Amino acid sequence: MGAAGAARAQAPAPDPIKFGQPDAHDFRPEAFAADSAAGAVVLCDYGRSRLVGYRAGFRVLFERVTRVKILKKSGYDAATVEIPLYHRDGDQEQVSNLRGFTYRLVDGQVQKTKLDASGDFLEKRSPNVNVRRFTLPDVREGAVVEYAYTLSSDFLFNFQNWVFQGPYPVRWSEYRASIPVFYKYKIILQGSQPLAVDRPTRGMTTLLVDNKLAAGSISVGQTNGSLSVSAPTEQYQWAMKDVPVLRREAYTTAAADYEARLDFQLVGEQWPDQPYRDLTDSWAKINARLLASESFGQQLDRAGFLKEQVAALAAQYPDPAQRAAAVRRVVLAAVRYNGTNRYGTDNGLRKAYDAHSGTSADVNLLLIGALRTAGLGAQPVLLSTRDHGRINQTYPLLEKFNYVVALVPLADGHDLLVDATDPALPCGTLPERCLNQTGRLVSADATAGRWVDLRPAQQHLHFQQVKLALDAQGGLSGQVHEEYAGYAGADARGELARLGEKKYLAEIGRQHTAWALTPLAVAGRDDVERPLALDYAFTQAPDDNAAAAATLYLSPLRELTGAQNPFREAERRFPVDFGAPQDEVLLVTLALPEGYELAETPKSTVLNLANGGGRFQYNVAAAGPTVQLTSRLTLYKPVYGAEEYGNLRELYRLMLEKQAEKFVIKKKD
Amino acid sequence: MKALLPLLLALPLSSARAPLATRGAPEPKYPVAAIPAALREGAHAVLRADDEVVTVKSAGRLVQTVHRVVTVLDAGGDAFGRIRVDYDALNAIGYLRGAVYDADGRLLHQLRAAEIHDQGVGDAGGSLMTDVRVRYADLRQPQAPYTVEFDYEVVSDNTLFYPSWQPQDEEGLAVQSATLRVSTPSALPLRYQERQWPAGAPAQHTTAGGQEQYAWALAGCPALDEEDDAPPLADTAPAVALAPGAFEVQGHAGSAATWQALGQWNYELNAGRAVLPPALVAKVAELIKDAPDPRVRVARLYGLLQGSTRYISVQLGLGGWQTFPASAVAANGYGDCKALSNYAMALLATAGVPAYVALVGAGSGHADLRADFPSSQFNHAILCVPLAKAGRPDTLWLECTSQTEALGYMGGFTGNRHALLLTPQGGKVVATPRYRCADNRRERRIDLYLDAQGAATATARTLRTGQEQDLYAQLLHELSPADQKAYVAERLRLATFTLNKFALAATAGPGLPGVVETLALALPGYAPPSGKRVFLTPNLLSRLPALPAQVGPRQAPLWLPRASLQADTVRLHLPAGFQPETLPAPVQLATAYGTYSARYQTLPDGTVQYVRRLELPRLRLPAAAYAGYVDFRRKISAADRAQVVLLKTDA
Repeated sequence: MGAAGAARAQAPAPDPIKFGQPDAHDFRPEAFAADSAAGAVVLCDYGRSRLVGYRAGFRVLFERVTRVKILKKSGYDAATVEIPLYHRDGDQEQVSNLRGFTYRLVDGQVQKTKLDASGDFLEKRSPNVNVRRFTLPDVREGAVVEYAYTLSSDFLFNFQNWVFQGPYPVRWSEYRASIPVFYKYKIILQGSQPLAVDRPTRGMTTLLVDNKLAAGSISVGQTNGSLSVSAPTEQYQWAMKDVPVLRREAYTTAAADYEARLDFQLVGEQWPDQPYRDLTDSWAKINARLLASESFGQQLDRAGFLKEQVAALAAQYPDPAQRAAAVRRVVLAAVRYNGTNRYGTDNGLRKAYDAHSGTSADVNLLLIGALRTAGLGAQPVLLSTRDHGRINQTYPLLEKFNYVVALVPLADGHDLLVDATDPALPCGTLPERCLNQTGRLVSADATAGRWVDLRPAQQHLHFQQVKLALDAQGGLSGQVHEEYAGYAGADARGELARLGEKKYLAEIGRQHTAWALTPLAVAGRDDVERPLALDYAFTQAPDDNAAAAATLYLSPLRELTGAQNPFREAERRFPVDFGAPQDEVLLVTLALPEGYELAETPKSTVLNLANGGGRFQYNVAAAGPTVQLTSRLTLYKPVYGAEEYGNLRELYRLMLEKQAEKFVIKKKD
Repeated sequence: MKALLPLLLALPLSSARAPLATRGAPEPKYPVAAIPAALREGAHAVLRADDEVVTVKSAGRLVQTVHRVVTVLDAGGDAFGRIRVDYDALNAIGYLRGAVYDADGRLLHQLRAAEIHDQGVGDAGGSLMTDVRVRYADLRQPQAPYTVEFDYEVVSDNTLFYPSWQPQDEEGLAVQSATLRVSTPSALPLRYQERQWPAGAPAQHTTAGGQEQYAWALAGCPALDEEDDAPPLADTAPAVALAPGAFEVQGHAGSAATWQALGQWNYELNAGRAVLPPALVAKVAELIKDAPDPRVRVARLYGLLQGSTRYISVQLGLGGWQTFPASAVAANGYGDCKALSNYAMALLATAGVPAYVALVGAGSGHADLRADFPSSQFNHAILCVPLAKAGRPDTLWLECTSQTEALGYMGGFTGNRHALLLTPQGGKVVATPRYRCADNRRERRIDLYLDAQGAATATARTLRTGQEQDLYAQLLHELSPADQKAYVAERLRLATFTLNKFALAATAGPGLPGVVETLALALPGYAPPSGKRVFLTPNLLSRLPALPAQVGPRQAPLWLPRASLQADTVRLHLPAGFQPETLPAPVQLATAYGTYSARYQTLPDGTVQYVRRLELPRLRLPAAAYAGYVDFRRKISAADRAQVVLLKTDA
């Protein structure tokens, strides 16, 4: 038994799908009874990758067969396929042997319509990406479409990856990889979906190459000028069954963080009779490579063109934090962030400086150089922005980063993280896009690199102080003082800059359509180190024909705050990632009409989230004709786990309910 | 000759002369100080110069050069610091240059070739294949104000379209100076239309050496605001539209001088492409053999079309105007708007029902056809089937790119406007269906059950028809149920709720399409008691917000392009021990802007019933009428927020 079992394990498993041979089962409606929500179902997505000889070396050959059942018209897009093809420095990806069929059941017979592959289209999308697109013919509800192609790739370092999860539910997704033993890859599985098959075996392969390989004990035969190389292989088979669609939720980072996928990273080469060549990247190696790199380390001390402006700042600002802020101002004024995120410069800092415009790398590498020129020991910190995906500390992968900021060590042992892409933020506050858990310090001493916590000390802070006056007819007037600080300050400044004061005020009017507003007074607009302060007044006329009433009803806080729970869905799959902690404070002084009083003072309340994650404080104090109200929501954590979602949603619900509470205001007898 | 001066100044941008320009002490260009104060008022950016020159070389070629200088005053005007020029197989970019100056007019940077990006647009336009590409550049600066200067030339072999000129095309942009010059051979007389053009600035026209020269100039236009419920700026800002008389595209000559001629060209370009394979002809015959009524035939063949084809856009060269043959659609099962309309026309012809392809400017925000200026104003094709009922015309219109649209329904995409019918006798302007209040209905019935602690549950059934259902039909047909639910939940204006049940379903039957939405809501803490009283807003889901107070005088006309009729009935089922203390007074508003009514009554079983009706016609009124509309909306909003007060009885 044991021997037989072992032998079976060595035999290649049968292919899960054969191109051109649709399954009769896939034309029976009952097979899709459970898929009423889907426009299409991927019946089988099957990919195989192996190495083949190519000229003097190797390339990856990736063959794919995909079969999709079209259930509804909303699934027609599944019949249009886009294959991005990368090319860089002479290395490229190419598609060959593209073929496809659409199968439909016509009078009980399966009818085939062939894809005319001459009708596909290659678009030169961008300098490094071409896109091959095709669409299958004769697509209708109930049709099964199938396509297959071979992609050859010169990019050996990143062995062809595989994504199990997509915009349609997947019945079966399988990937096989055959890798000659002389290449070692690290294989990274991501996502929470279980593997239905995870089977490594051994095999053999024969590779033909033009030139001489380092010959050794692997059998080498000469045929027609090329070498034939036989080598044992590692064979992998992975599969997932019934993979659901990944749905996006509010307050999350990149969807790719949660997608079920496999990635490969070359970690070593083992040629016969040669010592193992460790290509494993380590954080120390990445550090060293970056320092030597023309697009990164070599640029750090090339901020000479800012020297004149920066050198004097050292004497002017003895305090390092103040000096860093002054240097940052110089960089902000010199180069504008163009919205592209990079950790290394594409064209060099000089070009960006001359054009006054650059990527995050151009801006912040220039910043680091300038900070150094000013005598501060600034060092680069690599990070991955929120929309780019999370960094896994276990796998030293440089490509997972897309951004760089400066770290300035302070005398008190704290680190100041400085970024010069957003003039609306104070020095030491990273833009929201950077708030993605952790970054990697690149040190001049390659072994001294370390992880840097990116969780911000700054909050999303909104403070409102309002003097309200109620009249006996129910009319309301108010003087509002608002302050926005931290991330809220950046958001509000951005809005104000985009809209201008007049339109900004109009937007306030849109939130409170019953208000007649006085012009806006803005303070601290240009001093981002301080809160942005807004002052305005409003009047809200009583209802038409309203007379003085013996009893008035008012929800004072409801007149001032947003009225909707941000969490609309009852369930949550992924963590709630706000990026930064939040503090929302509202202080109201309500003057009652002459001769009126509160019939009853509403109860003050404190609501706490479990584990001290947050709280809502609500306080009411009446003193004669004046009522003082305090409403404060504090969320201490930047990220809440999915299991905390229910409590968080409930906290908002209770807060909104409390804020909507009616005050009963009576005329005194 | 004045307008040529900026072009000459732009010459130092060419690399050969650049050193000369920087060696001396060049004159500052476009210093911010030279902008009149009136033009800075309310402006994020100022168009310092917009000098466009259109040169008609021949019936088949036209060259457009643009010299555009914009001062960006603040972050709100930053978008003007960038440029994007589209091109394709028939439109080539001759050159694209740029420079940027500081507030004092000193050169900061000249755009380098390497800084100009070139990219395909991919499927951004919903196309499987398109030859449209863009070149773009970014000269935005770290500090405003700054001034960008762009020069480009487009050589067009597609003279079906002449450029149109509208310098002030965005809000917050003031115009200091803008000129348009057109030069055309006398044998190819220019056709033009001045739109919203200020009095006292007539076109200059001269003739010399067999060339006709035209020039227009605009100067000193303060920034415009996009106002609520106003027509788009494109319909209110000054513009000059140009169009060819005779034109030629890839060997196809035609004339746009009349609708008849433009239609003729289109018809002939596509003639002979409506031939179906014999098997399909036989299938059609089989399908209609028991249906002598042409309307039934159309219904069946539209069903065949919708079930067996889909929309795939292919825009290559002349393919933007010339259809794929019907045989290609039959073979592939897909096509773009022209191809599918042509294919549907072929199907109907086989069944003996004549039909005509019609060109239309589609999109809910697209301006109606300028019927008095024949020119290519279209982006879509539909099919018109002239039928009659009881001796009167009863035309059916077919949207052939949709697999789900109801027979004969155009909706907000192509309805309420004019189209150009392509007939063997040439083009003919005709009206597409118009949708009125009674067509665009939203009927809602809610039952709300309140408990003594203030929690509520509610069921809501909403029927939407006509244009009211356009969006919901799209949700229904394009999104999964989970995504439909998330979309609707995101937009419910309620504090906290849980959507326990959600369904969208299309209504069956002939006539206008309808979608029924069914919701079951849990509303924890919806109306908590305050002492002995409970305050409850019966209008749970249909509150219409008021408009913000008008700041400054209203500039634009009031424009409400969509007619609608809303009818709501809400029944409040009260917990035991509660009864209404006061019901809001009824409200009845009858105005030029529409009518509104709200009534409350206690039914014999103690249930409180609220009935609301709001009718909003399609309107265009002068700016002075806006204040009255704001007041109308304010009264509606107040009435929509009215509360029923319940009193706890001690029984």
